[in-house]
Amino acid sequence: MFSAIYVEREVRDHPRTLAILDRYRELPLIECERYGEIFNRKAQNFRMQKDSQALILAHKHGRKVLPAPGGHGFGASPSHYFSHMLNCIYDCRYCFLQGMYRSAHCVLFVNFEDFADMIAQAISAGPPGQMFHSGYDCDSLALEPASGFARFFVPFFAQHPQAMLELRTKSTQIASLLQMKPVPNCIVAMSFTTEAAAQRWERDLPSVSKRIAALGRLQDAGWPIALRFEPLLPETEPQEYAELFERIFARLDAARVHSASTGVFRMPAGYFRKVLRLYPDEPLLARETRNENGIVSFRQRDEEAWLGELESSLFRHIDPASHYRCTN
Amino acid sequence: MHETTHETTHETMNKSARGTTRESVNGAVNLVVAHRPEAAPLLDWFDLTESRPRGRFRCYQGGDGIALTISGTGAHNAAAAVRHLHERQPEAHRAWLNVGIAGHRGEPLGTGLLINRIEHRRSGERHWPPVPRLGLPGSSLVSVDKPETEYPEDAAYDMEAAGFFAEASRLIASDLVYVFKIVSDNRASPLAELDLRRVPELIRLREREIRAIVEHLRQRCARFASCHTMPDEYPLLLGKCHFSATRKAMLAGLCRRGRALGMQQRLHTLAKQRFRDAGALLQAAEAALAAPAQAREAATGETGEGPR
Repeated sequence: MFSAIYVEREVRDHPRTLAILDRYRELPLIECERYGEIFNRKAQNFRMQKDSQALILAHKHGRKVLPAPGGHGFGASPSHYFSHMLNCIYDCRYCFLQGMYRSAHCVLFVNFEDFADMIAQAISAGPPGQMFHSGYDCDSLALEPASGFARFFVPFFAQHPQAMLELRTKSTQIASLLQMKPVPNCIVAMSFTTEAAAQRWERDLPSVSKRIAALGRLQDAGWPIALRFEPLLPETEPQEYAELFERIFARLDAARVHSASTGVFRMPAGYFRKVLRLYPDEPLLARETRNENGIVSFRQRDEEAWLGELESSLFRHIDPASHYRCTN
Repeated sequence: MHETTHETTHETMNKSARGTTRESVNGAVNLVVAHRPEAAPLLDWFDLTESRPRGRFRCYQGGDGIALTISGTGAHNAAAAVRHLHERQPEAHRAWLNVGIAGHRGEPLGTGLLINRIEHRRSGERHWPPVPRLGLPGSSLVSVDKPETEYPEDAAYDMEAAGFFAEASRLIASDLVYVFKIVSDNRASPLAELDLRRVPELIRLREREIRAIVEHLRQRCARFASCHTMPDEYPLLLGKCHFSATRKAMLAGLCRRGRALGMQQRLHTLAKQRFRDAGALLQAAEAALAAPAQAREAATGETGEGPR
């Protein structure tokens, strides 16, 4: 999976580091002082690095819990996000991380305990029902066998039932969850695009069928699950989504789905320009775009009608009250 | 090269029967070595002939997009040689590879090491060459100003890589800049005992690895170049009107879009038309790419399109 492992000297002997190094002992190990000297340096090419992605083990300093952008998430309670990892092992052509980071390497912060302390502070300082998103700058579960992220944070949130954790993922790495008792305030939110879009623009990901199967197993085991239909990509017929919904709800009990969201493709203009420079040959990105207040989205004829039709077919399966449209 | 007190031994090479060199813009690789004994096997393998006129640094060119320069000792020279070679070449995407000998306290003589970390001892600057999946042993490296005979760290020691890497990664993404070193001296066989006549032999020991790295870089660079070179329509359209720098960039963007969307034929058709000025041409190009395929086909009589 990775071509090499970089390790900050500071975490060289951290137990989580040692466990990961043991798992990847055949890979070159390279020591560094700070992850930024590799991750943030200039003259890197994200696209090329995806072919030989490395893992960087580091210590997260400074703020670890941040307010989630407005329009991101469900309900009116305050939302936060925290990133134990930067970047993703998957390669989705529409992903904003390609424009956000200079490097395609994955940074894993091993000091989970420090994240937990700050989350605990935020929980006690805020109202009940606060949501904590873990999959904003990464996929929450994709590296689970190595990172043990869910193995650590799910029991932590089990002790803080007044807060909610969203594990946003496209991964089928659910073994550690299935080994635990379901935790009512930990929601596994699986992202989907249509089958055709997944085949065309998602590389190295579990297939749509496997994602549905994994989510089904989690639901069977009693885990709260959610559905994320983001990004909705242009020129996808509502019928294609209707077929996807049929497949999903043939396996899942719709009445027990925590929430479902939809959201069109959108990306900060600066990120989009960077992605376009990386992939000048990518038909998806060459489509007509519009820029509204610094956010780029694809032009879609009759967008509201298109979205309406698509969401109507979703509401044939779920209660509209459990749906939200993500706008950020 | 890890400098020694010995005089450089020049190998005689017969380069007279070389074919005409042809610049290859895709998959091109520039090699940088410190001294002639390190260059000799590479000149043979890649069939390189000396470029004329000779400048400050000797440069060699092959017919297959491979070029080489001999920098002399030290990081400063290595950086200057990179600049020199770059300035002699037509604009293109090129990968860079520094090949040479190095000291290492423990590695056996002849071991080939793909360098994954470079520290310039004097400045403290660190560089991070890529780690491709080539199955080659990796090592960190310290670039020193004077030959290192104590090998204090578990690292390779040379005198050029830091200067080479810093300069080459100003010219291209550092993901296309590699350093490969062959161990020439270690604690058991110290630098003072190094016979420079053995250097070509040490390099030859690692022919398979060096060829594999060069081929890997060629493929990587070719993929990079193929999507970043300008579509054929660009110069055709550019020649039709006077373009300001801003409008040139807009035209470049439209031509790239046209290629990505498989609509190059539409732009090619435009290149046969006349336009009042660059603004009118850009407007027409935008309209051509925006039009749905069927409507456009009906209007222009086009029957099909796709990348040419």
